[in-house]
Amino acid sequence: MLTRCYEIMFVLFAVTLCLGCGQKRVVGPAPDMAAALDLRETLEKETGAEGKVEEKALGTGWASLKGKFTFAGSPGAPKALVIDKDTAVCSKDGMQLFEQSLIVDEASKGLANVVVFLRKSSRVKNESATEKLVMDQRNCEFLTPVFAARVGQAVDVKNSDPIGHNTNISGSSFNQLIPSGDSTVFTPSRETGLPVSVTCNIHPWMKAYAVFRKDGYVAVSSGDGTFEIPDLPAGEPLEFQVWHERATGRSGALDLDQPELKWNSKGRFKITLKENEVRDLGTLEIPADAISG
Amino acid sequence: MNNVMAWCCAFGPVQRARVVSLLGLMCVVSASLLATGCGQTPAATFRLNLVESSKQQLTPSQEQQVATILAALFGTPDEPRVPPEINLDVAKLKLAAGPVRSDIVGRKNGLYREHCAHCHGVTGDGMGPTAAFLNPYPRDYRPGVFKFKSTERADKPTHSDLVMVLRKGLAGSSMPSFALLSDAKIDALAEYVKYLSVRGQVELSLMRAYFELDDEDEGVLPQSREFLFEEIIDPVTEMWAAADDAIIDVPDMPADLDMVASIAKGKELFYGNKANCVKCHGVSGLGDGQANDYDDWNKVVLQAQKTVDGGVKQAEKASTWDMSAEERDEHRTELAWLDRFETVLDGNALRPRMIRPRNLRQGVYRGGMRPLDLYYRIHAGINGAPMPAAKGTVPPEDIWHIVNYIKSLPYDFNGTLGVDRPMVARDRM
Repeated sequence: MLTRCYEIMFVLFAVTLCLGCGQKRVVGPAPDMAAALDLRETLEKETGAEGKVEEKALGTGWASLKGKFTFAGSPGAPKALVIDKDTAVCSKDGMQLFEQSLIVDEASKGLANVVVFLRKSSRVKNESATEKLVMDQRNCEFLTPVFAARVGQAVDVKNSDPIGHNTNISGSSFNQLIPSGDSTVFTPSRETGLPVSVTCNIHPWMKAYAVFRKDGYVAVSSGDGTFEIPDLPAGEPLEFQVWHERATGRSGALDLDQPELKWNSKGRFKITLKENEVRDLGTLEIPADAISG
Repeated sequence: MNNVMAWCCAFGPVQRARVVSLLGLMCVVSASLLATGCGQTPAATFRLNLVESSKQQLTPSQEQQVATILAALFGTPDEPRVPPEINLDVAKLKLAAGPVRSDIVGRKNGLYREHCAHCHGVTGDGMGPTAAFLNPYPRDYRPGVFKFKSTERADKPTHSDLVMVLRKGLAGSSMPSFALLSDAKIDALAEYVKYLSVRGQVELSLMRAYFELDDEDEGVLPQSREFLFEEIIDPVTEMWAAADDAIIDVPDMPADLDMVASIAKGKELFYGNKANCVKCHGVSGLGDGQANDYDDWNKVVLQAQKTVDGGVKQAEKASTWDMSAEERDEHRTELAWLDRFETVLDGNALRPRMIRPRNLRQGVYRGGMRPLDLYYRIHAGINGAPMPAAKGTVPPEDIWHIVNYIKSLPYDFNGTLGVDRPMVARDRM
């Protein structure tokens, strides 16, 4: 009887030791309750009209910014994608799809699909975009690996394949079936910060990025690495954000050593343009270690 | 067990006495451990979204600023409050919040902790104590995304959508029906879910706002009314307010519909290139098509893991020899961040799990089995899940055909309807 009792105790002891006091969990800082109560009181008193930041000096006229991104490293061979579905279309006649994350022009070293956008604009030249954009997919691949549009601008999401796709734009809750040869209209309603991913859930290897900006001051570098943003507000300080899918900075921020542009580790640079100026930043060389391998 | 006994009996009386006293000691230690536990139970607190704050590389003081702003706006789990601009009923929230207790007239309070918190967590992060043992995981309310609702894909659920989930439960998941609770209690709980969701969305927006700060802000968010309401809170509350206007307009299924023809048409659509259901739900309809995908909640953790793994790989490659003092400092900060992020993913997130397309042969549908529920799912897709919307590309009458075909899938449909309707496939197996 006694032995039985000890047995149970022994097991209990072992179990207690094994279980311990639970998982290792990081506990974030606790709120400062005194400060919280103060803030609550201030928010209740303020009506919203007061405490406005003084208006910054506005410039006049418009200007353009252009430049060219080149990649100093060797891009290496692009990774072949594994196609395990709809092979009759997605790898017809022995076609092989490759990752599109680092596209470097062999002759000019130009790096495609670098996104440059103005962070905050005080004014815009064209109130809205009238042009309708097309975002197409063919041979189980998005034809625009990085897609830029303006908030409120209609985008025709198209499927030129003989099979069905779906287009899933993260953060926007847009996930729509696109039957073969059909299209559907997507109108971005919210601005993205950094570009968001676009995927097809039916064909998981399909991947692209999209960036939507209210003012439309956004450019994606073309096949030869060049970009241009026209009609920017002149005569006032502007801050741009630069992004590339494989940039090693936080969330794809592209960090370049360009002290005269005050380029920082968040992938941002500052510049003030003169009226009617077309400022050419020249060649912006991206070192090999700024892009992840 | 018998080994232990045999081992005990193998000793002489003196040794046995020693073993017995050893066991006695163990007994005292374990009893005291069990009695004292691992420290006192502290008051319930909201947990910070540390996966997001780690992703955004917030400093401890920035994390504290977020916690403080949230406490100012939303109070604590025991004392919930909302600014009057957020359209939530504080009286209902108070009924649902706090520890389980009865008030002076015997009315039960603390409903959320009584019925929900063990799975969904006090914070509504879907990480209550039982969460890790459930499949699918309980919903994390903080991103403000809900699957089963009557509104368009991108829109929030209506209040009655949440009430419906509470009342009916979600068939095939661990979410039970709370139909035994009174209407008032269910109503209070639905309100509290909205509160946790709005709070979680505001938290996410605050954490993401640090990246958008200018250099001169020096890493501190403005705490003005203008910033907090116009930039952070209003976009969230506007979406919730718009839910009632976003209910999907469903045309009636034609009354004179030839059901046999409709099922045949639905089958054609199911396998065809237009609706493409077959790609994920499989040729057999067993949900065995595209099955290696994740939902949005699990993707967040998956991507965070990728960030950590990629970062560690990158950091291992870096050589500290040819670094300047400043670069070495940066490198060290990076390593400390990666280390903490890894611990956060270990202890503050659930291991990512793949999502399965529904097995349509079972006749079990999470979001309800009415034809109307299936219509909503096909029309708007399932927000947060890979299921896309058919709206716009598949006309309403075709959606009804697909609904009819899906309703026929659990049965061995042989082309005739009526009394000789065959048994459920599940029973047959």
